[in-house]
Amino acid sequence: MNDRVTEINTVIESIPDVKLIKPFEQGKFDIEGCISVFVEGLEQALNFDVSISPQYPFKSHDTETIKFSNDDLLEYKHIMGNGSICIHTAQSPLLSEKLGYDIASVKAWIKKYYINKDTDTHYEHLIVSEKAFKGNHFAFFFNEVEYTFSKNQYGFVDYSTLSNGVFYKDKINSNIVQKFYDRNRKILADVKWNFQLKSLPIGGGLFIFLKDAPSNNQRWIFDNWNEFETLLPQDFLKFLHSIEKNATKEKGKQLPLFVGYNITDTEIHWQVIMLEIGNFPIYGEKVNQQWLTMIDGNRTIDWAMTRNCSYKYFFGRGRLNEKLTNGKILIIGIGAIGSIVAKTLVRSGCTKVDFIDYDIKEPENVCRSEYSFFTGITNKTNDLINEMCLISPFFEPTNGGYDYSEAFDFFLKSHLTDTTIKTEIEKRLNEYDVIFDCSADNDLLYVLSQLKINSTLLNLSISNHAKQLVCATEQNRYEFICTQFNGSVLKFDIDDLHNPTGCWNPTFKASYNDINTLVQSTIKHINLRFEQNKALRNFVVETDDTDCFTIKLKEF
Amino acid sequence: MDKSLHLDTVIKTHQITKEKDLLDKHVQKKNEVKEALEKEYGSNVYAPFNSGSYAKNTAINTKFDFDLVSPFKRNAFGSNGTLKEMYEAVYDFLYNKYKNDAEVRKQKVSIGLEFYADSDGDKIKIDVVPGRELNQEQYKDDENLNLYVYYKYGNIAADSERIKTNVQSQISNIKDRADKEKDSIRKIIRLLKVWKNTKGNYPTKSFFLELVTIKAFDNSDITGNLWDKLKAVMEYIKDNVTNDGFTLKDPGNSSNDLADTLTDSEKQQLANDMKNMLDRIEENDENIKTYFPENPKFKEEDKNKNKYSTNGGMPVPPPKLNFG
Repeated sequence: MNDRVTEINTVIESIPDVKLIKPFEQGKFDIEGCISVFVEGLEQALNFDVSISPQYPFKSHDTETIKFSNDDLLEYKHIMGNGSICIHTAQSPLLSEKLGYDIASVKAWIKKYYINKDTDTHYEHLIVSEKAFKGNHFAFFFNEVEYTFSKNQYGFVDYSTLSNGVFYKDKINSNIVQKFYDRNRKILADVKWNFQLKSLPIGGGLFIFLKDAPSNNQRWIFDNWNEFETLLPQDFLKFLHSIEKNATKEKGKQLPLFVGYNITDTEIHWQVIMLEIGNFPIYGEKVNQQWLTMIDGNRTIDWAMTRNCSYKYFFGRGRLNEKLTNGKILIIGIGAIGSIVAKTLVRSGCTKVDFIDYDIKEPENVCRSEYSFFTGITNKTNDLINEMCLISPFFEPTNGGYDYSEAFDFFLKSHLTDTTIKTEIEKRLNEYDVIFDCSADNDLLYVLSQLKINSTLLNLSISNHAKQLVCATEQNRYEFICTQFNGSVLKFDIDDLHNPTGCWNPTFKASYNDINTLVQSTIKHINLRFEQNKALRNFVVETDDTDCFTIKLKEF
Repeated sequence: MDKSLHLDTVIKTHQITKEKDLLDKHVQKKNEVKEALEKEYGSNVYAPFNSGSYAKNTAINTKFDFDLVSPFKRNAFGSNGTLKEMYEAVYDFLYNKYKNDAEVRKQKVSIGLEFYADSDGDKIKIDVVPGRELNQEQYKDDENLNLYVYYKYGNIAADSERIKTNVQSQISNIKDRADKEKDSIRKIIRLLKVWKNTKGNYPTKSFFLELVTIKAFDNSDITGNLWDKLKAVMEYIKDNVTNDGFTLKDPGNSSNDLADTLTDSEKQQLANDMKNMLDRIEENDENIKTYFPENPKFKEEDKNKNKYSTNGGMPVPPPKLNFG
C-alpha cells in the first residue's frame, strides 16, 4: 500500500463519526473506498462510496477531485446524476486538512438536505447532459416575452444563428430565439434584442409549452421519449407528423423543438430538443379504426443547451445604478475617453445610449479606445454602435450617427442666439437623463454652459500622460475646466505630446491602461454618488507614479 | 496668490451698482407688479415691499433677489379663507396677468415670475411672497404675517404648516448687522452668495446663508483678513450645521427655525461642500478662483500682463491642454 493510500485510511479513521466500511485502495486511476458517516439526527449512519482522483487535494476545472456517492440518495437536493454529493469546500494543499474539510461538508449536506430536507431559495435548473447532435453542439438563447403561454399551446419559432464556435473539442452553434407563432403562423411574441440581432437571417423551429417541467423528480430532465408519453397531447403529435410530412425535401436537417415550462408563477424556462427531419420519434398506429400518432419511446432525447438571456440574468452578476441603467444617455465625443465610457456603460447594463461624434476612426485610434482594427476606417459612431451591439443584446441607440452629429455641432454653435433653435436643442438634450461630454471641445463646453439643461451633464477630459482626469459636473463647468487646466492648478507635462505624421493637431500621450484606470475610477465615483443619492460635485482624479502607483479623487 | 486680494476683486466685480441698467429694470418691474397687486386687491392688501437681498444690502449683480412681500389683510379672502386659498388666488391673478410675458411658477412660499428676455437679452425675475396678517388690522401694529408653504421646504412639510414671520424684522436684522460690520458680515454674505451662484439650483437659501454668517460671527472668533474671516465662517458652517442642536432663529419670529428649511441630507451636503472648499483651497490657492470667481463681465485685465507667452517678440497662443 502506498503512502498516500495509507495516509487517507489513517486520516479517515481519525475523523469522529466516520468509519471505514471498505478501506481505501489504489484503483486504476483513483483511490477508492467506502465509508459511513453519522450525523446527530440520523437513525443510522449513511454509507458513501468514495473515489479520490490523483489531483487531490487540488481541485480540477473548479471541481472537487473527491466524490462521495450513494445511489439511494438520488431524490435529494444537490445530488449529481451519478449519485455523488455536490460539495464545494475550502481549499487546502494538505491532504489531511482537505479530507477534514470535505467530510465536514458531507456532514453539513446530510444535516441540511437529508435530515432537514431544506430547499434553496434560488431555483435549481434541471440537469441536462451536454451531448452533441449529429456531431455538433447547439445552444439557444431566449429572452422574456410579453405573452402568457397556455398549457399545451404549440406552434412555430423563428431563431437566428449567432455564430459557430468551439465547445471544448467539438463544434458548437449558438442561436437566439426571434419570434413565437401559433400553429396557424399568427405571431404571438416578438423577442426583444438589439437591432442587429433582429436583422439576422431566420431559421425555423417548433415549440410546445408544457407548463410542467419535463422531469420526473424536478432534478434530471427526461432521457427517453417514453417519459413524454403522458405529457404530449395527441394533437401536438399530429402537428409534428404534419410538419415532417410537409418537409420531405428538408430530410436530414435539424429542427429545434422548444419545450417550455414554468419555473415560478411568472417565469418560463425553455429547453430545446434537436429533431431530425425524416427521423422524428413518432410513428402511426391504428387504434379503434383511427390512426393515432404514437411516440417511439425507445429513442433517447437529444437535448441542446439553452440559456435565459433576459436582462436580469444577462446583467445579473453586476450592473450600475438604476439612474444610469434605466436612464437615457448621450455621449458626445467617442474618442479614447468616450468609447471607454460607452463600453463600460453598455457592459454594465445601460441600454439607451446615443453617440455624437463627427470623427472617423483611424487605425492608430485602436490602441487606446474600444474600437477594433478589423473594421478599418469608418465613422466612429457607426463603428461604436457595431461594437456595442456585439456586447449587449439590449443596446438600443435611438439618435446619433454621423449626420446627427454634424447637425448637432452646427446648430449648437451657430444658432446660440436664436431662441427658437436654442429652445429646440435644449428640449432635445433634456430628453437625456445623463449626458457625458467627452469631446474635450472647450467651445462646445462653453456653448453647453449657456443652455438650460436639466439632465445630469458631465464633462470628462484628461491631461497629457493621463496624469489627471477632470470631471466637471456643476453649473460652473466651463470656468472649472479652464481653471484646472490653465497651468496654475494641475501640474502635468505640456511639451511631450504625440505628433502624428502629417498636418494634424498634436494629441496627448497615454496608453489604454493609463486612460482606462482614470475613466473606471471616474465612473465608479459617479455611480457611487447615484447609489448614495447624493449630488455630484466637480472632481479631479489624479495619479502619481513617482514611486508606487497611487490614485486619488478630489471632490470640489 | 493673495487670497484676500482676490476675494476683494470678486466683491468689486459683483457690485450691484455695476449693473445699474439691469437693476433699474428690476426696480421698475417690481413696481409694476406691486401696483398690479394693489390695484387688484385694493384695501385688502397693505403696501407690498421688497424683502430680497437688495433691500438687505447684500445683493450681488449676477443674481438679483427681488422678493416682493404682499401683506394681505386677515379677511382678504373671506373671514374663513385659508392660507392656501390666498396662495392660489394670488397665483391665479399673476398667472392670468403675466402668462404671455413670463413663466409663472408656484415655488416653496412664493410665486415666481420670470419675464422673457427683453431686447437686451435681460431676464427679470421677481418672486411674489403672499402673506396674511394674523388678525384683521393687526399688521400695522406687529408686522407679523402667516405664509403658505406650497411644497416641501426642507423639513417643513407641504401644505401642512404655516410659517408665521415678520419680514420687516428679518430685513432690518440683517441690514443692521451688515451695516455695523460692513467690512465683515456683508462681504462674507456676498461671497457665499457668489459661491452659491456657481452651484445653480442650490437647496440652501440666501436667507439661510445670511443668518448662518451672522451666527458664525456671534459664536466664533472671526478675525484677520478677508480670507481668514471667510475661512472661519466656512469652518463654522462645516462644524455646526449638521449638529443635532443646531438652530437658526428667524429674526421675524424666534419660534421659527430656519435650520428646518434644509433636510438632514441637504445640511450634510452643505457641510461637505464647505469641507471640500476648505480642503481644495488649502491644497492649492488657485482653487479659490473656482469657488469664488470674479464676474467676467467686469473683470479688469492686468494691462501689464501679456496674455500669451512670447517667443522672440512673436505671440504664442496658449496650447490645448485637455484631451478626450
